[in-house]
Amino acid sequence: MTQTATDYRKYLEPRTLARIHSLDLRARLIVEGLMTGMHRSPYQGISIEFAQHRPYVPGDDIRHVDWKVFGKTDKIYLKQYLEETNLHLICVVDCSESMGFSSIDLGPDRWSKFDCATSIAAALSYLAIQQQDSVGLATFDTELKHYIKPSNTPAQWKIITRELTLVPKLKKTGTGRILDQLAEKLNHRSLIVLLSDFFDDFDSIKMGLRHLRYKKHEIMAFQVMDPQEIDFPFQDTTLFKGLEEAGELLTEPRSLREGYLKELEDFTASLRKLCRGMHIDFTRMNSGDPLDVSLSGFLATRSASIK
Amino acid sequence: MTNFPLAIYFLTWSFVVAGACLTAIPIIIHLLNRRRFKTVTWAAMEFLLRAMRKNRRRLKFEQWLLLATRCLLVALLGLALARPLGCENPALAAFGHHTALNVFIIDNSYSAAYSTGRADAKTHLDQAKKLVTEMLSRAQSGGESVVLITASRPATTSMEPQIDLEAARQAVGHIEQSWGATDLRHAFELALDVARRNDKIPDKNLFIITDATRSAWEGADGASLKQLGPELAGEFKSIQHFNLSSSQPQWNGAIADIKPGDNLVSSKFPAEFRADVRGFFPGVDPGHEVSLQWTLDDQPIGKTTASFKLSGATKPQRLANVAFATGGPHVLKATLLDNGDHLPVDNIRRRIVDVASELKVLIVEGKRGIDPEQSSAHYLMPALAGHRDVVPGKPASSDSSFSPEVITDLELGNKVLGDYSAVILAGVGQISSTESDALTKFVQQGGTLLFFMGDAVNKDNYNTMLFKRNRLLPGELVKVMSVGVNEHEYSFDFNPKSVVHPLLKDFANVNSGLDRVPVRSYWQIDIPPDSSAEKVLNYIPTNPKAPADPAITAQTIGQGRVLFVTTTGNLDWTDFPQKPAFLEVVQSMLVGSIRTGDWWMNRVVGEHLSIPSSVRMTTTPVLSDSEGGLIVVSPPEPDAGAVLADAKKADADHGMWRSLYHTEPLVKPGLYTLTLGERKVPIAVNVPAADEADVTTISNDAIRHDLGDITMAMLGPELATAGSSAQDANDFSWWTMVLVLALVGFECFIAMRFGHYRRSEVVTPGAGSPALGAKGAM
Repeated sequence: MTQTATDYRKYLEPRTLARIHSLDLRARLIVEGLMTGMHRSPYQGISIEFAQHRPYVPGDDIRHVDWKVFGKTDKIYLKQYLEETNLHLICVVDCSESMGFSSIDLGPDRWSKFDCATSIAAALSYLAIQQQDSVGLATFDTELKHYIKPSNTPAQWKIITRELTLVPKLKKTGTGRILDQLAEKLNHRSLIVLLSDFFDDFDSIKMGLRHLRYKKHEIMAFQVMDPQEIDFPFQDTTLFKGLEEAGELLTEPRSLREGYLKELEDFTASLRKLCRGMHIDFTRMNSGDPLDVSLSGFLATRSASIK
Repeated sequence: MTNFPLAIYFLTWSFVVAGACLTAIPIIIHLLNRRRFKTVTWAAMEFLLRAMRKNRRRLKFEQWLLLATRCLLVALLGLALARPLGCENPALAAFGHHTALNVFIIDNSYSAAYSTGRADAKTHLDQAKKLVTEMLSRAQSGGESVVLITASRPATTSMEPQIDLEAARQAVGHIEQSWGATDLRHAFELALDVARRNDKIPDKNLFIITDATRSAWEGADGASLKQLGPELAGEFKSIQHFNLSSSQPQWNGAIADIKPGDNLVSSKFPAEFRADVRGFFPGVDPGHEVSLQWTLDDQPIGKTTASFKLSGATKPQRLANVAFATGGPHVLKATLLDNGDHLPVDNIRRRIVDVASELKVLIVEGKRGIDPEQSSAHYLMPALAGHRDVVPGKPASSDSSFSPEVITDLELGNKVLGDYSAVILAGVGQISSTESDALTKFVQQGGTLLFFMGDAVNKDNYNTMLFKRNRLLPGELVKVMSVGVNEHEYSFDFNPKSVVHPLLKDFANVNSGLDRVPVRSYWQIDIPPDSSAEKVLNYIPTNPKAPADPAITAQTIGQGRVLFVTTTGNLDWTDFPQKPAFLEVVQSMLVGSIRTGDWWMNRVVGEHLSIPSSVRMTTTPVLSDSEGGLIVVSPPEPDAGAVLADAKKADADHGMWRSLYHTEPLVKPGLYTLTLGERKVPIAVNVPAADEADVTTISNDAIRHDLGDITMAMLGPELATAGSSAQDANDFSWWTMVLVLALVGFECFIAMRFGHYRRSEVVTPGAGSPALGAKGAM
């Protein structure tokens, strides 16, 4: 098996994909373009082509139940349509040095926050392409490193995953400025999935998000955190060497834990409050938690919110 | 108002030093922890730095507080283990010192029974016990070392220091009133021995608690005490004397002794006794009026004597014409009436008088002639037998106390000498070693041995067997001195008007003719300078410049006496036996020398009762005191001494060995009863009044002087008067330990509060996430 094939499969972990497939991806807002099938569209009745039936599973919208089939067979099936949508999903992945932090040691491999973020991006991209949605990708650190325009071609997903695999992560973060640049680049209203630890200046992040929202983009923000960053479990005297040129600190972590957690919670609370104010879905993800659980929960929440 | 202790002492200074040194440990750990750290690459540095900036001052304060608490904790722990003591009186603070040895000498002699009239301590001993108990109560248990020594029959409760103060207090409570004399010399020697045994203990304190009586401090051992004082000062860091009497005036009257007028008390003639009554008064003798009551076998003798003045110069009170109807032991008791002193125990004294009804005398005849007058014992027999009245149908009676028996020298080895009061060797030629040993044993146990010389006497045999072997002779026989033809006979150097030997006291001022006795020959003897022999009578020297040769000598050996006459007991060498004085001289010498054998029945508290082997027993003896309590009487230990072993051997050789029984020292005064099968013998045990009755007190300066003017603290009978208070020797270690425990709690609290503790639960990242599982599967 080649390394590339291995990388693709890494983002197609069956358990993660199966759960997300059962819940479907639904856009919360009506974006510009055609919305058919499961996506609610202001232009209903256009280009509806029946594709197949599938059995009903709990949680499915009963409005798509084929009652005729139910009347004949006494079994509940849903009608599915071969519909392409003009939803643009843009995955914006932070690939700064801080995203490379990892406390999870799996032998030869390490599971960093960046690994977690790229997995989420890949999974969402795959889902979107499966639904004929257009998917694009932006990676950044201090600058916008790569930008792949949205496309719904089958090859797009491979391009995206390759790009996520090759991204270096050695620099500082400039989230606010990058979001500004993205806002200028994107012409269509898009669903932007922002994957970052947001270890950046709060005001610049605020400015960037506001800019995107001003352009009517829908934003889903994932704050990816390492378990050690969340719990700060250190005991002995420790020399903390900061990433992204943040300096060093020799301290007694037991005595500093309370203050650190408070600072982190304050920042997260501010971020959550900011997102809520801008109607942005915000989720803090623990890179140590199962990925599918986080995504399923998030998508279920979104699905419920747009019905 | 509570006085704060002025002096602080630490029981173990090493713990103080250790605590001070170990205080550095928390600092060292802190510094080491600063040097030993993990390095973590950290992403969320901004939050960490921000938390650090906000809490920098608080964190520093917490760390300093924690470090200071831990340092203080270690230091206080060291102090607590060092056991700090606070005291107003530094001298008393030394008591209770962990590394100090505290030796108490408590005077429990019979003078300590002096009634003081205190409400809570009737006698000096009660006050001494109370005093020591209080001192022990002030010390803290678990560290102090205590040795108790009683001054009468000096003995320690234990030679090893006791650290159990409760046990020491109980031991003090169990100290009994002794009725013996104070023996400070042995008590001090014992204290020195204890101090030297515990030479590793740096500080030793000696506490002497006595009634400061003259008899205790300025008795026979005065010179020894003066020598011991500096030695005590050298061994003990501090010496303190507690004066139970406060040197206040004390007085006492006592009967110090009862003595018979003569050694021999016989049922044949009345006896005379003298009671030595003494009064001891401080300062001017007031002449206290008292009277004396005599009883014989619990029956009053005559009337109570008229009142006489009790003083230090009271003459002995005589009891004359005491007639004993029967022989054997009788109990004579004198009681001092109207005394009113505070020490009644010595107002009564008993004397067991072993009355002789018949004194058996064995005469060993060395020369037997065809003519009875030529026999060496011819004149001795009538001299001792006296005049006999023969009444038909009745046993012959005699006016003499002696019952003589004549044997030949060949029979001497077959006789049981213990059956006789005296043995006379009249011109015996040779003495075997066995006979010499038997005679020695006989004398040592109280018998009287009288030698007369003669032609048959073998000089070398006598010198070897009797002088060199057993010292029965006063000196070596040198040569026979004989007068030549036409020379004047030798005569005794006797002047009835000059001082005469006690054995010849009946010849004083009497024209007895003793100074005119002609002696033709005699054995010259060489008395060594170290000999204890007394010259009873000498010959007038032929050369005025030459020393006079002894004619009669007397020496005491053991309990008995040896009399040596250098000429013959018949007419071979002298005409003395024909003289009337001969009878009286022989009888006077025997009466003055023979002991009735009651010496072992009259004991003083503290002495053993030793039953001589001459006492006939049909069963194991049983001794009971005046209250009926049984006292163990047992044979001596096998290793009781070489002399005893030799004596046993000698007895065994004669086939007459009997057990010699003895007791432990007798502790109570009174009339004891010794049961010897069917026979009961009274035993009188008196207090040692001669040594202890003088209860007049001496000053503290005098006591210090008696101990060689050493440095010592002189205190009173009450602990309070020593300037001490309840805080003396206050042990602060418990309070320090409480503080340590409080600090431990405080340290735990602030460590938890400040987060300086290890959490039991350390958050570990979930290892079972689906994403990670998928990654691991690839």
